[in-house]
Amino acid sequence: MIYSWKKIVRYGLPLLTLCVLIEMFAGQILQGGQNTLLKIPIFLISIPAINGVGGNIGSILGARLASGLHVGSITLDIKDKKMHENLLTSLLMGIITYAVLAILIYYVASFSGVTMGIGLIEFVFVLLAVGVLLVCVVSVASIFTAFISFKKGADPDDFVAPVVTTIGDTMGIIFLFLLIGAVGI
Amino acid sequence: MFAKEMLRQSLPLLIFCGLGGVVAGSTLGVMANLLESIPGLIVIIPAIIALRGNISTTFGSRLGSAYHLGVIDAENMWNGELKQNIIGSLVLSFLVSITIGVLAYVTTIAFFDISPDPVKLIIIVLIAGVVSGVILTMLTIGIIFAVFKRGYDPDNITGPALATFGDIITMLSIFGSAMIVEVIL
Repeated sequence: MIYSWKKIVRYGLPLLTLCVLIEMFAGQILQGGQNTLLKIPIFLISIPAINGVGGNIGSILGARLASGLHVGSITLDIKDKKMHENLLTSLLMGIITYAVLAILIYYVASFSGVTMGIGLIEFVFVLLAVGVLLVCVVSVASIFTAFISFKKGADPDDFVAPVVTTIGDTMGIIFLFLLIGAVGI
Repeated sequence: MFAKEMLRQSLPLLIFCGLGGVVAGSTLGVMANLLESIPGLIVIIPAIIALRGNISTTFGSRLGSAYHLGVIDAENMWNGELKQNIIGSLVLSFLVSITIGVLAYVTTIAFFDISPDPVKLIIIVLIAGVVSGVILTMLTIGIIFAVFKRGYDPDNITGPALATFGDIITMLSIFGSAMIVEVIL
């Protein structure tokens, strides 16, 4: 027997507890802005997609960097060309995905009779701006986590996903409220 | 150039995962009234989504490794190794759900001038955490079984599939358990 449930719990519990503790901040920011979200529910509807896509882009980038570092095609250098190429592609994927989802969310919401309170152009702008900021933050977090864990002799694959998704959830919600405030809704 | 291949392989998957986020978000939109009537409910949402994502993806990737190690396969799935993994995931779900409920209560009274009902919050998270845990565990086993049968590598499939369905199932579980608790308590 190579697996034991006690070991799974013992190894999983500390990281998960830390992770939900940080997620509490994301939750409290939501609670603070709850009135805005209930007044313009399209933003409430957008939250899982914003965070999900940000976390996924960061994890994909991290997994690619980890493989690149393991194989030796990426070096531990902030100026590494291949790393820059990956970073730009992540940003490009983020822009395309957030634009597509923004338009989709807008029409899903308007067809299901949700109170809108915001125009399509304005909404796409907010989501794209949140998306670009978030992709930048998760990408930097992903690069740092991958590089540092690799340098310390650990496997980046074990660390990148939890770190990146937790940072992504908190920052995604903060950026959303910043942008809602910036466009003055 | 390997950035192009990253775009071609990851972008469709990214948009597909985003669609899952939109469905999860729509559930959140439908819950607007519950969010208003149960203070503190919105706080648990990022944490429970993160908990589910973490537990089910680690479960999926452990089963992937078990497959590569030859410990389980399509003909020999229901063995002790799988059972240890299932028990481990469910115990973690149970323990961390209670932690989320307690943390949500404590941080809410610390940050805001509102006092949520701690019993209600803990019961809602516990039901949602355990129910979504059971459903996602069964779903993961189903996906892994189908993947084994076709001879694919589970590592390429379980991650994105669980990210997409995980958010939706978790949101539906929170919605259901909040509704039941609101009616009964």
